[in-house]
Amino acid sequence: MDRRDVMRALGAGLVLPMLRGFSPEQLNAAAAKIRDRLPSRLPGYKPILLGELQYQTVTVIAEHILPATDTPGATDAGVGPFIDMMLAEWYKTEDRDKFLEGLANLDDRSSNMFGATFLKLGEAKQVALLHGLDAEVTALQDADLETDSYFFHRMKWLTLFGYYTSEIGQTQELQAAIIPGHYDPCAPLKRDTPGEW
Amino acid sequence: MQRRDFDAIVIGSGMTGGWAAKELTEKGLDTLVLEAGPPIDPNVDFVEHEPVWNFRYRGLGDRRALDATQRVQRTCYACDEAASKFFVNDVENPYTHDEDKPFSWIRGRQVGGRSIMWARQSYRWSDLDFEANAREGIGVDWPIRYSDLQPWYDYVEEFVGVSGRAEGLPQLPDGKFLPAMPLSCPEAFLRDGMAQHFGRERVLTIGRTAVLTVDHKGRAACHYCGPCHRGCITRSYFSSVNATLPAAAATGHMTLRPNSVVASIVYDEKRDRASGVHVIDRETQEEAEFTGRIVFLCASALESARILLNSQTARFSSGLGNSSGELGKNLMDHTMGGGARASVHGFDDKDVYGRRPNGIYIPRFRNVTSSHPDFLRGYGFQGGAGRPGWTRGTSLPGFGADFKHALRTPGPWRATFYGFGECLPRSDNYVEIDHEKTDKWGIPALRINCTWGDNERAMLQDMAVTAAEMLEAGGAKEIDTFVEDNPPGLTIHEMGTARMGRDPTTSVLNAHNQMHDVKNVFVTDGAAMASSSCQNPSLTYMALTARACDYAVKRMKALEL
Repeated sequence: MDRRDVMRALGAGLVLPMLRGFSPEQLNAAAAKIRDRLPSRLPGYKPILLGELQYQTVTVIAEHILPATDTPGATDAGVGPFIDMMLAEWYKTEDRDKFLEGLANLDDRSSNMFGATFLKLGEAKQVALLHGLDAEVTALQDADLETDSYFFHRMKWLTLFGYYTSEIGQTQELQAAIIPGHYDPCAPLKRDTPGEW
Repeated sequence: MQRRDFDAIVIGSGMTGGWAAKELTEKGLDTLVLEAGPPIDPNVDFVEHEPVWNFRYRGLGDRRALDATQRVQRTCYACDEAASKFFVNDVENPYTHDEDKPFSWIRGRQVGGRSIMWARQSYRWSDLDFEANAREGIGVDWPIRYSDLQPWYDYVEEFVGVSGRAEGLPQLPDGKFLPAMPLSCPEAFLRDGMAQHFGRERVLTIGRTAVLTVDHKGRAACHYCGPCHRGCITRSYFSSVNATLPAAAATGHMTLRPNSVVASIVYDEKRDRASGVHVIDRETQEEAEFTGRIVFLCASALESARILLNSQTARFSSGLGNSSGELGKNLMDHTMGGGARASVHGFDDKDVYGRRPNGIYIPRFRNVTSSHPDFLRGYGFQGGAGRPGWTRGTSLPGFGADFKHALRTPGPWRATFYGFGECLPRSDNYVEIDHEKTDKWGIPALRINCTWGDNERAMLQDMAVTAAEMLEAGGAKEIDTFVEDNPPGLTIHEMGTARMGRDPTTSVLNAHNQMHDVKNVFVTDGAAMASSSCQNPSLTYMALTARACDYAVKRMKALEL
């Protein structure tokens, strides 16, 4: 990470004048602290576990699942870095391998169906492929079969969890109040009902 | 020089230790409170308002670390990323059991103990409970009745602040309640439908909880943020950190000593009394002894049993105060997890605002006025109704912009009735010292032998049936029943192991939680219970503790102790 990355990591221009006189080590330490707390905020995120193409694929799928609309989507909410971190640090090896296998299978399927890997497809074909996977998950769920380790189910779970627990997801999409202040047992349903954690 | 001699020693600073500390110091006794774990600084350690995105694993916790050091603790719902620090390290604090007899021992070692993460439900027990053993010839008769405890329930409730609704039911005596939290509209709908069908036999009411609905004794009313188990900087729920320990500290008579792992109680054969306690420093392993005129053992049911079993003397070769042979026996935990879920229609334009730290309660109705053919005693239901948010998206088909926008509207109202049943005392549910295993401080570990009996299993099945009946009568639709298979211990209502009783040959403690054998030792936590009721036990532990302190100090003043 060079000085420019650090500056970018620290973000707002307002902060910059205060940083003069700090050594690159101090800046690096400060940036690492921020990165630890909010990996999603690093625009030039370098995946820890996923390869560059895998990371891009995951990011593209996540954005298809929860796209930017009138609120930001999965990419802006840092779902890609979140999934990479979970695969690197949280999942058991066999679950992680199963996920990576699923990613590879996606490209195989894409090549068989459309003659190109997933990332090279146009948006419509990408979405069509994912709808196929989603339908398979639904069929398994309807048959009461276990889907937790199934690639697209895990991908969808990670995307939803990563998005709705992100700062963007909580504050912009769910508009969740951390301190509601009172309890109304029969409130009219409205858009700013506090979301779940 | 560090002070070594005190009027009283309290072992443990959790639910009952906090009460013993408050009562004894307020009565003027110089009291040493020993806590095995580290101190707690609410300003730093309570992080209930930290946004979820600031946790590296968004609240899930570090799975690898949890698997490595908190394999047992992590099975408790409250052991999340913010609160796992309030649960013990399972590697440092081992216990054993047969492979086919799983037991989940969920423990908290810090100032405040498990009163920090408890679920706060606060119910009185009644004579239906205190008379049950005698009526059915099971275990031993309680040496007390509701009338003995009633003034002490009043006393502790007035300090704790319990919100709830008076229902006038004999099996669930009303208390000194703060204003009740309201039922959500579908919960009120279910209550009304059930009332039409069951009258006052099966009643749905709001949970009685140690969470303030109005400002109370210098503590602020709840602000409905939700994750109580992470602590509460406004001190809106009762814990010893939030309430009893500050009261004890204010007297100037408390010496609180964290990081003090009690290995045993020291018994003076000549004077036939406990002279003090043997302590090992949690951080340095340094050993120390403290002396006191009375000892209150409030370390939690199983830890108190372990300390007594590890306090072997020439006279008490199988554990302090064990002339009856009942020490460690009659372990109980509430059997939980029979029930039903259903949808409630007709309130699509409504939702709740705020996160109510409380649910509904359906008091026991089995074997109250009638007699069930399959089992003794009974069970109550906890639960409630709510609308699922985005989490339901993982089991819904589809994705994309419409999917995202559809998840902005919460899902249909779902109601859950989840049963908690009484567990019978049995001598073959017991704990003993495992001489092959020691903890990080070299103290012999417990071996736990505990299984559910036929009575508990029959009850669990019945919970599913009656939950479905009540949901149907209440007007709910799409009802699904469930019967979970939870190991004993996981309800975290472990009781027994040093039971109260009238006869020194069949019980460990008398009617005042005083050891029959060693008069200056009192055990006032869950270990003292002679039966388990089906109501959550903490409020009863608190009342018993305050009552025992009153008795002990009166006896000391009369120079009988």
